[in-house]
Amino acid sequence: MSEEKYASDVAFIRALAELLAETELTEIEVARKFSEDDELEVRVSRQTDAAPAIQYAPAPAAAVAPAPAPAAAPAAAAPVSDDPAQHPGAVTSPMVGTVYLQAEPGAPQFSKVGDKVSEGQTLLIIEAMKTMNQIPSPKSGTIKRILVEDGTPVEFGSPLMIIE
Amino acid sequence: MADWPAGVGRIVLAQTDSTMNEAPRQIAAGASVPFWVLALAQSGGRGRRGRAWDMPAGNFAASHVMAPKGPQADWALRSFTASLALYEAFDALTGRADLFTLKWPNDVLCEGRKCAGILLETDGARLTLGIGVNLVAYPEQATLEAGALPATSILEATGRRITPEALLDALAPAFARWEQVLIEDGFAPVRAAWLSRAANIGKPVTARMPGRSVSGLFDGIDTTGAIVIDTGAGRQVLPAADIFFAPS
Repeated sequence: MSEEKYASDVAFIRALAELLAETELTEIEVARKFSEDDELEVRVSRQTDAAPAIQYAPAPAAAVAPAPAPAAAPAAAAPVSDDPAQHPGAVTSPMVGTVYLQAEPGAPQFSKVGDKVSEGQTLLIIEAMKTMNQIPSPKSGTIKRILVEDGTPVEFGSPLMIIE
Repeated sequence: MADWPAGVGRIVLAQTDSTMNEAPRQIAAGASVPFWVLALAQSGGRGRRGRAWDMPAGNFAASHVMAPKGPQADWALRSFTASLALYEAFDALTGRADLFTLKWPNDVLCEGRKCAGILLETDGARLTLGIGVNLVAYPEQATLEAGALPATSILEATGRRITPEALLDALAPAFARWEQVLIEDGFAPVRAAWLSRAANIGKPVTARMPGRSVSGLFDGIDTTGAIVIDTGAGRQVLPAADIFFAPS
């Protein structure tokens, strides 16, 4: 591991510790895979008297700092308050598969945060069994969030993007 | 062409860039779905994720356009019906079923080598299957990606010189029959037929995905068509991956 990498990792862990102190979270779990397509998986939880509120949020490596806000609900309430799948502008996956944000490696991304898209425009591709499924925008609007990373697996119903 | 499926168009072109690009042009020009479009020469064939697919004269390049019923998540099952149809067409035309096996999700192998490629694309309205077959020529190993299966041609492996039109006329009815099975009886009989022709069940396999890979023993496919790999620490079910068999 290079000195630079080590320093950035220390800074990363320090940032996580600060997040824990600042928020009411009791746990932050981070799984990071270094490869051609870096992956970062973040899991945060808050211990309450009832079952812990757990929220999974895949996030791009650059977007570590603004981790999902802790659920502020009282112990008995629903555990998650900002599940993107429940967002009215959520585009969810119609199938299990692998997400591609570009038509092919090296090609420009179909769409980026802030882009205006029209109904029916291809947002991304989900591959399952060598079938490239173009996922069209269900409505016209602006892409507010992209919730998936290129080359990562998605489940049926996973939130892919928020369009408003 | 006595067996050509009723209600299915048949378009043969001397030349195009790619039959996958040709399909929407044919629709714009008034072709009614479903149809097959075959090109005898192709200048810009493509494979999965933008990989090039060479198409020397005499090889097969065709696309089938259809509008499947049912949820889009199930459309990908045509990977299995298409490879089964291709297997049957090879059997019918060469009489050498013993040489051919299937590789997940939709490769047809000849003597364990790659002799065909199938790619499916859909915009949610129509499904287009692109099928390329090395009938007479195949790429040299040096031109293939590292770890890729070696290639062969039907001519090289069986001694039979099959024309693209002859293959289309065997493939289209076989595909229509399997489509009927899928619609009427569901995936179970398709899965059973596919498994009975699959290569390397129980043998070591590696599935590569962006950023990770899974190695273990090839344990078949589940009821949705996803590949199942027994890693020793459990079974992993993967809907999308590149599959590599360990060298034997």
